[in-house]
Amino acid sequence: MLRAHAIWKSFDGIDVLKGVDLHVQERECVCILGPSGSGKSTMLRCLNRLEEPDSGEIYLDGQKVSGPSVDLNGLRQQLGMVFQSFNLYPHLNALGNVTLALRKVKKLARPEADEIAIKALDTVGLRHKADAMPATLSGGQQQRVAIARAIALNPKVMLFDEPTSALDPELVGSVISTMRDLRTEGMTMVVVTHELRFAREAADKVVFMADGVEVAKGPPPEIFDAPPHPRLAEFLQQVS
Amino acid sequence: MDRILAQFFNAEVAAQYLPSMASGFAVTLGLAALIVVTGLSGGLALAVARTFQLRAVTFAIVAYADILRCLPPLTLMFMFYFAFPLAGISMSGMTAAWLALSLVLAAFSEEIFWTAFLSINKGQWEAARSTGLSFGQTISHVILPQAMRVAIPSLTNRTIAITKGVALASAVAVPEMLGEAIAATSYSSNSTPLLMAAAGYMIIFLPLAIFSRRLETRFRWN
Ligand SMILES: Nc1ncnc2c1ncn2[C@@H]1O[C@H](COP(=O)(O)OP(=O)(O)O)[C@@H](O)[C@H]1O
Ligand SMILES: [Mg+2]
Repeated sequence: MLRAHAIWKSFDGIDVLKGVDLHVQERECVCILGPSGSGKSTMLRCLNRLEEPDSGEIYLDGQKVSGPSVDLNGLRQQLGMVFQSFNLYPHLNALGNVTLALRKVKKLARPEADEIAIKALDTVGLRHKADAMPATLSGGQQQRVAIARAIALNPKVMLFDEPTSALDPELVGSVISTMRDLRTEGMTMVVVTHELRFAREAADKVVFMADGVEVAKGPPPEIFDAPPHPRLAEFLQQVS
Repeated sequence: MDRILAQFFNAEVAAQYLPSMASGFAVTLGLAALIVVTGLSGGLALAVARTFQLRAVTFAIVAYADILRCLPPLTLMFMFYFAFPLAGISMSGMTAAWLALSLVLAAFSEEIFWTAFLSINKGQWEAARSTGLSFGQTISHVILPQAMRVAIPSLTNRTIAITKGVALASAVAVPEMLGEAIAATSYSSNSTPLLMAAAGYMIIFLPLAIFSRRLETRFRWN
């Protein structure tokens, strides 16, 4: 479904990604682990081209989506993204946050956009908060609205960049359970996370990155129970 | 008391100069309105152009803003009105005044808009772009509404301060309200026309100040 090949990216002459590959099958959940600064966010952002890779290729559904002459706005609708810091639009209520792209990008009329948005808010359990402004919502609720904003566009793949890292511990659970629901419904997902339990239970495949390269990759039991690389073993020890 | 009334609130003088004061009022109001529209749209356009972060464009805009913010508007009016004709470009005093004050307001408001843009978290751009919004849509639906809230108070101050500069335009032969009032005051040796002008300024600028407070509350979303 989503395939990235040999992605290189440098900032100010420093290589942040050194030829990273990523394969995501349809309905698969791939979790990316790694220490801070290892290039996980940059990798995700290269996939929807918020960052432009220096080299490498990306294919979505067999279509090449890297390089010039790609409709970026079209591509980004198919790759929903959820950020560590929620990034809700503070001047719009929850419904407005979800409908903005539906109306302006998909060009839907307001009633139609509202209907889809309400359904998306329902999916994340926040239908009753449709009129609430972001500032009145808890972090966990904000992040779920952000998830609704992304899934409302009916993307082929959802990209999550540490969706629970900015949350108070007691609010992590609601976001994780929303992600589990999406997973159960068969959403294809790439999740950068430090939530090892989620990775272990929900991932089909876990990728461990360090210093801009993929160090280890495999199904959760392999990664967690018999770490194939000392860096990975060390990381798991530190995080848990 | 009577002398004060006769000097400042003289009905006879008021009636005599009402026509010229009224036409001065119309000139000032019209010119001010034009300057607000062109100056603010110019400033906004420049700030948006600056978001592309093209080195040459940014340099030109910064240079423009810095120079125009330093020049007294009157020197610009004089330049357009008296010097440009020497280079074969003539314009009416009205045009010279409009152009000078619009350019100055554009320079100041560009800086205000730009600072406001910078105050918006980068994550807002990313969230918008990641849902497929174009650059222009991101500016108009996500960045600008948030930037406006930051910008409105200083924008109002600047706009009022600069548009009041229409009073300078009598120096380039524009029959604006304050110039008319000063002339009338010296003809009549009576200060009533000046008070009429003061009232005129209130009528023009007080609504602007009130309007901006309204906007401020409208943009206070949390
Ligand atoms: N826009 C940028 N400009 C310069 N350096 C950046 C930028 N984005 C990320 N980096 C650098 O790239 C490295 C990897 O960052 P990131 O992908 O955010 O890592 P992670 O998400 O794994 O913590 C870090 O050293 C970071 O400082
Ligand atoms: Mg990161």
